[in-house]
Amino acid sequence: MLKGKQSWVFHNSPVIEASAAAGGPFEAKGKVAKDFDILHDDLWMGQDSYEKAHTLLLEEAISTAVKKAGLTRQDMQFMLAGDLINQITPSSFAARTLGIPYFGLFGACSTSMEGLALASFIINYGGARKVVTGASSHNAAVEKQFRYPTEYGGQKPPTAQWTVTGAGAAVLTDCKEKQGKLVTKSATIGKVIDMGLSDPFNMGGAMAPAAADTIVAHFKDLQVEPSYYDLIVTGDLGKIGQSATVELLQKEGLEMDTKSFKDCGLMIYQDDQPVQSGGSGAGCSATVLYGHLLNEMKKGKYKRILVVATGALLSPLSFQQKESIPCIAHAVSIEVHP
Amino acid sequence: MGKKKMTPEQEQYKKLEQKHELKRPVLKNCLKAFLVGGTICLIGQAVSYFYMYFFHFTEQTAGNPTVATMIFFSMLLTGFGVYDHIGQFAGAGSAVPITGFGNSVISAAIEHRTEGFVLGVGGNMFKLAGSVILFGVFSAFAVALIKTLLIMWGVL
Amino acid sequence: MIQSVNPEPAAVRRNSGKDHELAEKIKKEVQAVPAIYDVAVIKGKREVLVAYKVKHMQRFHMKRIEKEIKEKLEKKYPKETFIVSSDFKIFIEVLELKKRMKDKDYSEKDSEERLQKIIQFKKELT
Repeated sequence: MLKGKQSWVFHNSPVIEASAAAGGPFEAKGKVAKDFDILHDDLWMGQDSYEKAHTLLLEEAISTAVKKAGLTRQDMQFMLAGDLINQITPSSFAARTLGIPYFGLFGACSTSMEGLALASFIINYGGARKVVTGASSHNAAVEKQFRYPTEYGGQKPPTAQWTVTGAGAAVLTDCKEKQGKLVTKSATIGKVIDMGLSDPFNMGGAMAPAAADTIVAHFKDLQVEPSYYDLIVTGDLGKIGQSATVELLQKEGLEMDTKSFKDCGLMIYQDDQPVQSGGSGAGCSATVLYGHLLNEMKKGKYKRILVVATGALLSPLSFQQKESIPCIAHAVSIEVHP
Repeated sequence: MGKKKMTPEQEQYKKLEQKHELKRPVLKNCLKAFLVGGTICLIGQAVSYFYMYFFHFTEQTAGNPTVATMIFFSMLLTGFGVYDHIGQFAGAGSAVPITGFGNSVISAAIEHRTEGFVLGVGGNMFKLAGSVILFGVFSAFAVALIKTLLIMWGVL
Repeated sequence: MIQSVNPEPAAVRRNSGKDHELAEKIKKEVQAVPAIYDVAVIKGKREVLVAYKVKHMQRFHMKRIEKEIKEKLEKKYPKETFIVSSDFKIFIEVLELKKRMKDKDYSEKDSEERLQKIIQFKKELT
């Protein structure tokens, strides 16, 4: 049901039946490695191109999530997935293998929450009984498309972020027994915001206004206080984006506590890994949420969380043509059903 | 295209964002670039003396085989995945010597190997280095033209 | 490479006192130029080969120094043909030739041939 200007409330509380995350070698050394279901020790993952490895990651994440839910691929009615590669081929190729009716999504790094919001909406209104959603990215494949060749010795500025190699997927159902299960409660769909920044090596800074806008809209639409959530987590703002967002929210009168305001891009890697400002990519929020955070919720560490995935909607062509970077953020709240 | 006029709101945000932005440590980077770049040049000088002592090359002619050897070294380092780490540490120090040029060609060739030899490796090899060659040749042409004209007019 | 070797001047014609004397004089002459150090002179049958090292900070003026030395020598000894070079390869080749010339069995013809080869180095540029 539409609430306020741009938010949905899911009265039927779609259940996140199971979730899974797959990652690469760099993530295996990270802070949340133990929450990954599958970890590869090679970027190629036994494939002959990075794009195929990218496809494999998503396939693995989705089939693991489906298996963990005690279901089969045939039980799934729809699949919503997306990534960062041209024409989102890795997701489409994964859908080809999995044979599930498929919606391809593109919201850059916000795809994970775009998918979760839409999947929840479909389930909530009886459009389907079982839906799987996921997002993925592969460091080498994405770098190849957006930046320089992997082995090129260019110096990255400290504002740059490291694209996560990983895929996260979740299975949502309309299961009637909800007690103690994780459910999605509401979602806020963000506007595209462009603050005129055009440095592709500083995505966090460009995405911060979009994140702040969506967070403000969410609290206004749902008429709740930030303290309602145990944790508010952003997708991949990184160090710069996060501190800029905190300041922007402060101006709007929302005080964020550093303990309950985190960023997936800063949670995924160790402090000593050479990732400059943090992780990024569609797989960043997907793996941290569908791996680490949902596990923590099951353990009872958090009861209610708000996930705000941010995306920079640029293409290699657009930034070479000196266009600024338009950004978007989508928020979904996940709660443990009482 | 080009510089767009920013709205006051955007200007305001830009100021806010710049406070949070991590600055490049310029002085430290220069120092690192100097040391690493210097080391690369030292190796190049050693290779050049090697060609003078053991082969029939003079100071003038040893340049060509030295360049080829340095590119060969950078090819090995690129292939083994070391050069990009050197590059992140040294910045211009590893980009400016000929090894950086070699690295840009070789990394692109490796990257696009999966698209085949003709359209992949062949078509993308000079993706980064192509403009170096183009503008290098063009500026050499322009400078030589100016010199020739000056000599013709008796200025030089 | 950097330290001075200060090789004795030499002449291809072993028994020609005049050649030796000339080489000696030329060496002193060239050594007097402040921008350079370490001079090697070999008097061939026709040419005189002068190789020298330029002080590090003066290497920017290498071309000018070479021209100056050549002009100076040609003015002073108009009858001789001078090959003047700061190339390090030529310098080491001169030392090599001098080493071989010490051997009594190394004929004057061989020395002259080798000298001509060194002179070839000066001429090829690429």
